[in-house]
Amino acid sequence: MKLLTHNMLSCHIKNVRNGYPFLIEVVKVSEHEADFDPGKLLVRAANHFLKHIFPRINWPAFLQGAQSLGCREGLPEEAAESMLEDEGFLKRFHHALLEVFLEEGSLVCPETGRKFPVTKGIPNMLLNEDEC
Amino acid sequence: YLCYFLHRLLDFRRPEFESVAELAGCTQDQLRWRMPAGDLEHSPFWYVTLPSEETAKSIGQRALLTKMMVEVWGEGSTWEELEAALQAYPAEAMAPWVGPEHTFKVVVDAFGSKLTMDDQLDLIEKLEFLPFKVCVCVRVLQDHFAILSHPEGDNTGVLVWYLQPHCFPSPQVAAADRGVLESYSLKRRLYLGPTSMDAEIAFIMCNQAKVKRGQLMLDPYAGTGSILVAAAHYGAKVMGTDIDIKVLREGKPGPGGPGSATERVCIGSNFTQYGLPQPVGLIRLDTHKHPLRPDLQEVLHAVIGDPPYGVRAGGKKSGAKPEIADRRNPITDPSTHIPATQPYTLGECLRDLLDLSARLLVVGGRLVYFLPATPETYCEEEVPGHPALRLVANSEQILTMRYSRRLVTMEKV
Repeated sequence: MKLLTHNMLSCHIKNVRNGYPFLIEVVKVSEHEADFDPGKLLVRAANHFLKHIFPRINWPAFLQGAQSLGCREGLPEEAAESMLEDEGFLKRFHHALLEVFLEEGSLVCPETGRKFPVTKGIPNMLLNEDEC
Repeated sequence: YLCYFLHRLLDFRRPEFESVAELAGCTQDQLRWRMPAGDLEHSPFWYVTLPSEETAKSIGQRALLTKMMVEVWGEGSTWEELEAALQAYPAEAMAPWVGPEHTFKVVVDAFGSKLTMDDQLDLIEKLEFLPFKVCVCVRVLQDHFAILSHPEGDNTGVLVWYLQPHCFPSPQVAAADRGVLESYSLKRRLYLGPTSMDAEIAFIMCNQAKVKRGQLMLDPYAGTGSILVAAAHYGAKVMGTDIDIKVLREGKPGPGGPGSATERVCIGSNFTQYGLPQPVGLIRLDTHKHPLRPDLQEVLHAVIGDPPYGVRAGGKKSGAKPEIADRRNPITDPSTHIPATQPYTLGECLRDLLDLSARLLVVGGRLVYFLPATPETYCEEEVPGHPALRLVANSEQILTMRYSRRLVTMEKV
């Protein structure tokens, strides 16, 4: 599971109100190089993936996740669209979002403590009968 | 141009062409179809007006059901008519292709029948009045000229087009295009399941969704990842979800045997096999009770999927069936408990799919999915609507005498 996925998920157990973001319990993290599409021209182009996804990321949740996976370093407390012009920022954002991978661990609901296991990199988000 | 389609997946051909044309930057008003003579809806020959030769080339490179596009120099239902039409074609328009520096080859293709080599040569010889300066050179093929003959009824009326090259993919390009399908053929795919999507259909679905580089695409019923593979081929970042954890995570024993690199195969193996970047996310979830944060919206460019409709693999959603809910053992240890699932009707499933897509797609993003139908009783009202999704195309693929499926394309407005 990459932080991109983590950023999109929240606890959906019935009646849970503060299920976002999930806390991450880490057992094993790995890194895989992901296509960065280098070159400023590409990054500035409106159709670049990072440009598309940046405004849709919940930044505090992203930072919290990055902290858990050990890739928080160099990411600013607050993020603004203007930072997309900075290649250094883009590289760190890209790395934390798409290259750091939780292989084994859990997503923990901040309200109930319910753990959703992440095995072989795949979070299992299925609810038990009494939770839906 | 004259567009010569492959004679398969008849209902898919023009929608695919239109989607790919839009990808190439052609607007809807710039593209105009004209039915061929004979008024046959499913004719392989259609006339199309396009804004530029560049557009035609890009379409030719990506569309899978378009065999070639050619500029029409003349046509006639008899040789006399054809010759007259060609003589009347302005010499200056022909000039760029017939100069001494040009080599050429004439290709004869008869739709619906095969011509012998002698017949083909006869046809070519009849074109001798054309002002080509160089004799046929077979080895350095720059330009291809084609004669298409369309036998009607008893083969007497022959419709012939004479065409000019360079505005259709040269055979190399066209071959490479269908070659994509050959290299992605399921026959050699490492990880497959009973409902893996045929490569050709998966690629056409991606063309319908206008998938391209830099986009984010989701298949909510990912299974063994066939559609994800096709979208990744076109450069999108892909996410897959499925309710079945086994198919998503465990994979199955591979061909390599114990201890080898392919001891087990899973979705990831299919991406490795083709040298594609791995999916950016695989999640086991239930689309009926999904865990996406409530404020998440307009994040996807494409949602492409084949919903489970019970012909080969039925739909499932969370929760126990009412009749067994009471009999199940109480949950003592939630960490080892296996959640119950219950049947998921197609209607519910589609409603969830449309709602999710309407929310998660960017404006202009597309939802492409299959809907089962029985041709005898099908009516258009069966295709569910959504206020935020506009129906773009709805193409039928006949499967058997009694069943068909319809490829539905919708666009977020």
